[in-house]
Amino acid sequence: MSSAKILVIDDDPQIRRVMRATLVSHGYQVGDARSGEEGLEELRASNYDLVLLDMNMPGIGGLEACRLIRSASDVAVIMLTVSNSEKDKVDALDAGADDYVTKPFSMPELLARIRASLRRLPQPPEHSDLEPLAREGVVIDLPSREVSVHGRVSHLTAREFDLLSYFLTRPNRTIAHRELLQAIWGPDYGDESEYLRVFVNRLRKKIEPDPAKPVFLVTDAWAGYRFHLPQ
Amino acid sequence: MLNLDVMDVPSKAIAPGAKLSQVGSRIPPPDLRKAISLAIRILFSLASVAALTFVLSRWMHANASTTGFFYLLEILFIATKIGIVESTVASVAAMFCFNFFFLPPVGTLTIADPQNWIALFTFLVTSLTASQLSARAQRRTQEALDRQSEMERLYSLSRALLLADATQPMPNQIVKQIAQTFEFSSVALYVRSSGEVVRAGLSGVQDVDVRMREAAVRSTVVRDDATGLVVTPIRLGGEPIGSLALSEGALSDAALQSLLNLVAIGLERANSQNAVNRAEVARQSEELKSTLLDAIAHEFKTPLTSIKAVTTDLLLQSSGELPEPTRELISIADEAVDRLSNLVTDAIQLARIEGGTFRLNLGIHFVDALVHGGIRRIKALTDGRRIDVSIPDDVPLVRVDVELIQMAIAHLLHNALKYSPRESAISVSARTEEGKVILQVRDNGPGIPEEEQGRIFEKFYRGKNERHLKGTGMGLSIAREIVKAHGEDIWVASTPGQGSEFSFSLPVASRSGQS
Repeated sequence: MSSAKILVIDDDPQIRRVMRATLVSHGYQVGDARSGEEGLEELRASNYDLVLLDMNMPGIGGLEACRLIRSASDVAVIMLTVSNSEKDKVDALDAGADDYVTKPFSMPELLARIRASLRRLPQPPEHSDLEPLAREGVVIDLPSREVSVHGRVSHLTAREFDLLSYFLTRPNRTIAHRELLQAIWGPDYGDESEYLRVFVNRLRKKIEPDPAKPVFLVTDAWAGYRFHLPQ
Repeated sequence: MLNLDVMDVPSKAIAPGAKLSQVGSRIPPPDLRKAISLAIRILFSLASVAALTFVLSRWMHANASTTGFFYLLEILFIATKIGIVESTVASVAAMFCFNFFFLPPVGTLTIADPQNWIALFTFLVTSLTASQLSARAQRRTQEALDRQSEMERLYSLSRALLLADATQPMPNQIVKQIAQTFEFSSVALYVRSSGEVVRAGLSGVQDVDVRMREAAVRSTVVRDDATGLVVTPIRLGGEPIGSLALSEGALSDAALQSLLNLVAIGLERANSQNAVNRAEVARQSEELKSTLLDAIAHEFKTPLTSIKAVTTDLLLQSSGELPEPTRELISIADEAVDRLSNLVTDAIQLARIEGGTFRLNLGIHFVDALVHGGIRRIKALTDGRRIDVSIPDDVPLVRVDVELIQMAIAHLLHNALKYSPRESAISVSARTEEGKVILQVRDNGPGIPEEEQGRIFEKFYRGKNERHLKGTGMGLSIAREIVKAHGEDIWVASTPGQGSEFSFSLPVASRSGQS
């Protein structure tokens, strides 16, 4: 049983109660907050491994709360949404969420998502051997999880780091959507191409000199993505 | 840029502010009144010549040249202040008086000295010419004043129309302002778009309406003999948009044209304002409906989320921990939650699509990808059943809202899964026909009796023999609404005992992507 610490942010008291009862019974430590503001406060006060964040809340709302959380922390965020629409999913991922679950969800589904989000990729043994990549003003330093483009430094979130590491260890090879999803998110994934779209865009914003015209992280139409490293 | 052209305006002009004749009053007709007034003015002019003659001959005993100048002064005064006819009559009278009382031999109409003939003739020519010039100058001044007054009135009208109250009907305000500003007793305005005639001071005169429509439709000036009104068409960009009735000659050509242009602009402005208001109201109502639907979805789904979390968590427990009858009861609750949740999702989808609270997010897509997206949506419901997909490579790209079309495909597939035996396969195929892509979902179920085929797309309709099946009864309605929103058709072909085939058309994306 894991003892990861989960923060449930939802304005509905019953959902907080149910989440607390079920997650505790599955061995997690659980804290809760009634609003985005309260959740941010709680995250500043103590360490959490994962946040379950309701999208539709009074006050700053789930999306804005997610952006604020992301601006300060790498904690895994799973967004809980009512709508199953593509736009809401992309909005959630764009705001920095690692994953989303549509309400009402079944506990096995939620637990699987939580496990997937908490699961870190095993660090490749040759990881420390990966030289910091320095090309055309771009420096990618994996051990410190930092990327600098022409002196502009960005920090990678855990999920972005996993994705970029996966690409960097397989340069100049087209990697199919399904392979990427299963490698980074877990074996239950495979059809969620919107995840990749959003995360690849997020990575491009951090590593590409011009994100609109990617030179490293290129799309191979209808096949997948490829990390282009000039030999 | 507005293109305003108004033609065929009445040619005769009199001063603005002129009132229309009052039908049935006791005042004499205008011609007689004019003649009497002219006679009075002529008599007054003659009297003033006589008076001056008396003063000059009896009191001042003035000489001939002084007298001549005095007469000239008097005639200039009459020409300026009274009129050309009066001053001409006065000139002739003054000439006779000059000759009789001042030129020797005095007391006769004969002239002894031939030089005095010249003086008398010069006097007559000078006085007549001066009369003419003076009267013309006066007429010009009066015309200039009239034009100025018209311009001032037009300006004040344009200002009034610009500041018109947006909550009041524009045609009524236009008519009221014209009547007030130009002090007309009768004005009428016909607006072609609404077909209404707005009048001021023309109560009980029905005939004008006919004339006004005639003027607007034929786009020509029409005279209404009963009221003495002239009806002029109002045009905007060459297109007649109404007509305006005014008393004949109430305005100069230029002023009438400007007035018609002002009215045209006023009506057009009101029209576009109305269109903007209507669009704004529609947008707000759409937004409100959408917010309301979101709120309803949220309010229903939140308690369902709690229940679902509880039932699914309890069912996670191993059979040893949970007695079988309890597990069965929890399963029932769990299925009911799913059903209720689907019902809420479908009802909200349908309300959103039917209520028009969405916009098609059109994009160009592979039919293949649409079908697989649809299948992915119902993956949890397929229960391992086979879905055969056959999309030929030459099927063109389609221009659709990917999310909605995937939803429609998912509803058709769900329907096929529900109504066919577990072991039978379901097939999805596509073909191109008459510039459209036709998608088909086929099942090997019991088929649909012919009398029910027309009704299955109705909300909550369920076949007579299928009442026991689970489902919201909205899936096919949603699919139909989605296809309709794309401007396409959906239909069913079925033979009882041989399964059903649902088909719908999709628009092919043109090469420019603008199909």
